Amino acid sequence: MARLAFEPWGNYSLALAASVECLGVEPWTSSSTTPEVLRLGVEATPDSACLSFKACTGHFVKAAQEGVEYGAMVNSTGTCRLRYYHLLQRQILRERGLRLFVFNVGYDGLKPPIVRHFDPDLPHFLQCCLRARLKVLTVDAIEGAAWRTRARELEPGATTRVMKQCLQELGQARTTRQIRAVRRRVGERFGTVSLAAGRSPLRVGLLGEAAVLRNRFLNHNLEEILGSLGVVPRNFFLLGEEIKNIFGVGLWSRHSRFTLKRLARPYLRSPVGGHAVESVGNAVACAREGYDGLIHVCPTGCMPEISVRPIIRKIGRDLDIPVLECSFDEHTSHVGVITRVEAFVDVMEQRRLRSGHHGKNGSSA
Amino acid sequence: MTQLAYLGIDVGSISVNLFLLGADDRELYQSYRRVDGDPVGCVQGSLAALCEAIGESLPPVGGVGVTGSGRALIGAVVGADLIKNEISAHARAAVHLHPEVRTVFEIGGQDSKVTVVRDGVVVDFAMNLVCAAGTGSFLDSQAKRLNLSIEELSDKAMLSRQPTSIAGRCTVFAESDMIHKQQVGHRQEDIVMGLCEAMARNFLNNVCQGKEIEGPVVLQGGVSANRGMRRAFEKILDTRVIVPQYNMVMGAYGAALLAAEMAPPTSRFRGFESALRPIATRGFVCPDCANQCEIIEISDRQAVLGRSGGRCRKWEG
Repeated sequence: MARLAFEPWGNYSLALAASVECLGVEPWTSSSTTPEVLRLGVEATPDSACLSFKACTGHFVKAAQEGVEYGAMVNSTGTCRLRYYHLLQRQILRERGLRLFVFNVGYDGLKPPIVRHFDPDLPHFLQCCLRARLKVLTVDAIEGAAWRTRARELEPGATTRVMKQCLQELGQARTTRQIRAVRRRVGERFGTVSLAAGRSPLRVGLLGEAAVLRNRFLNHNLEEILGSLGVVPRNFFLLGEEIKNIFGVGLWSRHSRFTLKRLARPYLRSPVGGHAVESVGNAVACAREGYDGLIHVCPTGCMPEISVRPIIRKIGRDLDIPVLECSFDEHTSHVGVITRVEAFVDVMEQRRLRSGHHGKNGSSA
Repeated sequence: MTQLAYLGIDVGSISVNLFLLGADDRELYQSYRRVDGDPVGCVQGSLAALCEAIGESLPPVGGVGVTGSGRALIGAVVGADLIKNEISAHARAAVHLHPEVRTVFEIGGQDSKVTVVRDGVVVDFAMNLVCAAGTGSFLDSQAKRLNLSIEELSDKAMLSRQPTSIAGRCTVFAESDMIHKQQVGHRQEDIVMGLCEAMARNFLNNVCQGKEIEGPVVLQGGVSANRGMRRAFEKILDTRVIVPQYNMVMGAYGAALLAAEMAPPTSRFRGFESALRPIATRGFVCPDCANQCEIIEISDRQAVLGRSGGRCRKWEG
């Protein structure tokens, strides 16, 4: 069977693998980048390219070395450089003498080239896609439970263990019924982790560039660092919501592109590419929903997210919510990330202790 | 009841600092020692020096706080009650000595950070990310080029009447510019003061970008020993800049204060004797997932003291 490589998307890789299978090809991926893959990517790409591009290209280089025939690269149909990444990757691979064809996955007619090429049986294909979507929603349920549980677990590492178990089961689930069963058991499984009693933990929203938000290796396992400090993170790149947005379902939900655009409007009216408008919208939404802080995550040099960084800083001042700005590249030091996050958690804790009589951030003279 | 003392250790990239805090916030001992590539040896050397200096009158240690980039390793070696990030520790110390402070500049060997404080509480902070042009290492290398010690450099800077403008965006270019200014015939004290101003501007442009800098400002960290820097910040910001009493060891002082505040019922401190025993470290790559973390395990002759370096929490504790 031919194989198709795609970029690691955290735990979503598992669900995406299911959708690749329905094309009649074997998926080639992992949940996160490895140091070796990143090294390959850094070698193959220009220095000023963003970290996500380096990691993804490295992934394709590695796949090509292992004899994988195809690759799939998402294409934002918007205004960010991501639009040209599949073309760049094709050229980089060709120049290195590697035979791996990169498909462009984005809006490209009702039957995009990747589907046309493999030409699967349509009813079967659609059924598989629905199953993949169900897996995505299950991953969201598992992660949501893990975020809430990890912040209060008594035995360090217990949550991660349960999470791995759930994900393993989900990976093995083939039929719709099996996937549903895994989803139903999520609550019960996480219920076995013993929790510390006490006040409700701090909540922090993770915003920014999707690949770094979802690739644990690239973001230095930010979710676990926060969890181990007793903070509940919420990662705002949610693939389930993304799919709804693509198909125009649930227009009035909190996560719909329209809602986020509306929230962002006082600060940003024009598209700047990537998920930048969504980041701004989510920042406003989080502030209104009483989050204790925001972490804006992006690869160094990410055009859209860097454009909105000052806006998010301003939202922090306007709506009185602390913002931590984290940029990641291949040189980012792990200790540096931990130090900043720890200090940020101290800031949020102090604020909560004094909540009620603190003034606006930075102007309580 | 005997009075307890609290020990703060700051394990930075350039120096290891100790502070022993006695009753009533009294300073019993402080030290600043260069790391020279061996943090464990340096901490042990500092602790040995502490024992020697205080000797018999050393009160029992009620708690130990460790901060700085090497805090995890050293925390395990000495048996720390509290392991705190350096941003919070530095801010704690600054607020304790100067409760009215609104901004803290901390410029160390390789790190420089700004902390925004309002009503004694940290509300925002930033650290240098990709450039060390405004830090102690920069100043060190320029002082060497001028053949001056840091103290001489500090004295010289205070003599300047007409600081020379130096391009300070990059260490290498600053050096080229400085050589040029020397060749043109600028006075050395003006060049030195110009260097301080360039550093201060670099720090304000890079690290403080977008932060609300308001006075009074506390300037601490190794670089604050250079009086020219304080003068430069006062000139550029037009506000009061305070160099606190323990400016060189503020991280350690903050860690000691935090340990005293925590006042653990029984300290996990392993005692000076145990902490001074030889330490063995061993590194291995964790095979359990794709992250391939390099785990460092430290042990003394008897037992494994701790492990660090993992991206999940499997190896810690």
